[in-house]
Amino acid sequence: MHADIAWLDLANRRRSLIGYCLGMAVYALVVVAMYPAFKTSTSLDKLIANDSTAAALFGVTGRISSSGGWLNGNIYANFFPLIMLLLTIGYGAACLAGQDEDGTLGLLAVLPVRRTAIVVQKAAAMAAQAAVLAVTVAVLVIIGRSFQLDITVANIASISAAVLLMSLDFGLVTMAAGALTGRRGAAIGTGTAIAAASYLVSSLAPEVSWIQPGRYASLFYWSVGNSQISQGVSPGDYAVLIVTGLCALAAAILAFRRLDLH
Amino acid sequence: MTAAIKTSGLCKNYGPTRAVIDLDLVVEPGQVFAFLGPNGAGKTTTIRMLLALQRPASGRAAVLGLDSGRDSVEIHRRIGYLPGDLTLYPRMTGQQHIGWHARARGLRDLSLAAALAERFDAVLDRPTRELSKGNRQKVGLILAFMSQPELLVLDEPTSGLDPLMRSEFARLAREVVAEGRTVFWSSHELDEVQRLADRVAIIKQGRLMATETVEGLRESAPQTVHARFARPVAASLFAGMDGVSVTSCDGGSVQLEVTGAIGPVLRVIADHDPVDFTSRHAGLDELFLAYYRESGAPETSHAR
Repeated sequence: MHADIAWLDLANRRRSLIGYCLGMAVYALVVVAMYPAFKTSTSLDKLIANDSTAAALFGVTGRISSSGGWLNGNIYANFFPLIMLLLTIGYGAACLAGQDEDGTLGLLAVLPVRRTAIVVQKAAAMAAQAAVLAVTVAVLVIIGRSFQLDITVANIASISAAVLLMSLDFGLVTMAAGALTGRRGAAIGTGTAIAAASYLVSSLAPEVSWIQPGRYASLFYWSVGNSQISQGVSPGDYAVLIVTGLCALAAAILAFRRLDLH
Repeated sequence: MTAAIKTSGLCKNYGPTRAVIDLDLVVEPGQVFAFLGPNGAGKTTTIRMLLALQRPASGRAAVLGLDSGRDSVEIHRRIGYLPGDLTLYPRMTGQQHIGWHARARGLRDLSLAAALAERFDAVLDRPTRELSKGNRQKVGLILAFMSQPELLVLDEPTSGLDPLMRSEFARLAREVVAEGRTVFWSSHELDEVQRLADRVAIIKQGRLMATETVEGLRESAPQTVHARFARPVAASLFAGMDGVSVTSCDGGSVQLEVTGAIGPVLRVIADHDPVDFTSRHAGLDELFLAYYRESGAPETSHAR
């Protein structure tokens, strides 16, 4: 059996993955190429300083004219995670519940392979797709260092890894919800709602005192919401993201082993 | 000899709906076994439990002597399956499906798949979304048969096939059985079942109504006797005879349904100057309808 199920999904999704990568590559390139024009802009920094709550909504903290602030505000704190979540939540909902609803899972489920292996292969396919997109963006941002962005390759690599892990976490939660309910809609709803709440909590926590204690429950906080772009991703951040992913994967396996398929 | 399929007390509920109720079924190896019932009778649900796609509420199922839940991987290795609502990947061609399934099953020799494609005149070089229902079904049949499984579990396999391909399927099923393998086949195509099946199980609202050979079912079924007389006769001639009921009596023409011995009926008819006489056993279609007309069970049972 090896990785046939993972390869099948990757082959069937190669077109959409190429689309995601091309779109994000162009966006990232434009963002880094525009940095020299905004690097000396103090008006943007003043705007953010005057309305820090609105800035926080977009995940912008500190000076946006700094390299880290620019990348966080335009890529890592919002748009890049959003696209990654579209990919992982979309696949997480489709790969088990969606395929069961559209009828293509039946022939897979009668192959001589355990259901656990099916979930693991689907999770691997999700990780591979998300990794390709994350690496694409990371490479473009690294190229952006020639556009006066002052940020280390290590920090770019680590925050890209953190966003990748976070998006996998939400994708796996979505997959688990799909395995539990057998319904694509319920899976997308669950994954999207948790991700949206997580984003809001992390981005508003610095400005809204009563939300602040809740930021530890937000995966955005552990990946991009705690100055990781400038200070790097800590082992603690990685640990939270990895353990969450493993728990979600275990939940998906347990749920899928009990799911009645069609 | 180990039964190809054996279930005992198999039950499945969907919420308050009882889809399969206390199903006891034995399918001996080396035969075409037809699992007969209308839509919603519980055929597909039973098949899904046999293949561990769904978990029974209670009861046990064994396939090729293995527990359907615990040993599902080994069972899957030894069976071929065609789902009733076959859905293929729309962008992949039939050939790509065959290649992928062969790899996933560790099957290196694709000569049988090629031979099956030729027999069924299957279109394998176009994406399956461009194929007709019948052509997609041919791909599904090739996937089910190509690994030479010991047991074929086929849910409505001839759905969408034209008469020529139905005949080809019937020939293929007989060849498989001649090799000692088993075909478990759910259907509501009574003519095909009559021609092809060695044994038949009839399921109604989740309950097994009968398991018999086609001939056995026919023989146990009532005979329809029609007699025409030179003069008008009274229905009361046949009154009080065991196993005989008069279904019509019109002047000199009488139709009877006889479930017991035919001798006493023949003697009465012979004594009254008959000019014509016919007798025939019910066809499978009549038998099937008779089972379904008997409305003993409440209409609460229902299966997917």
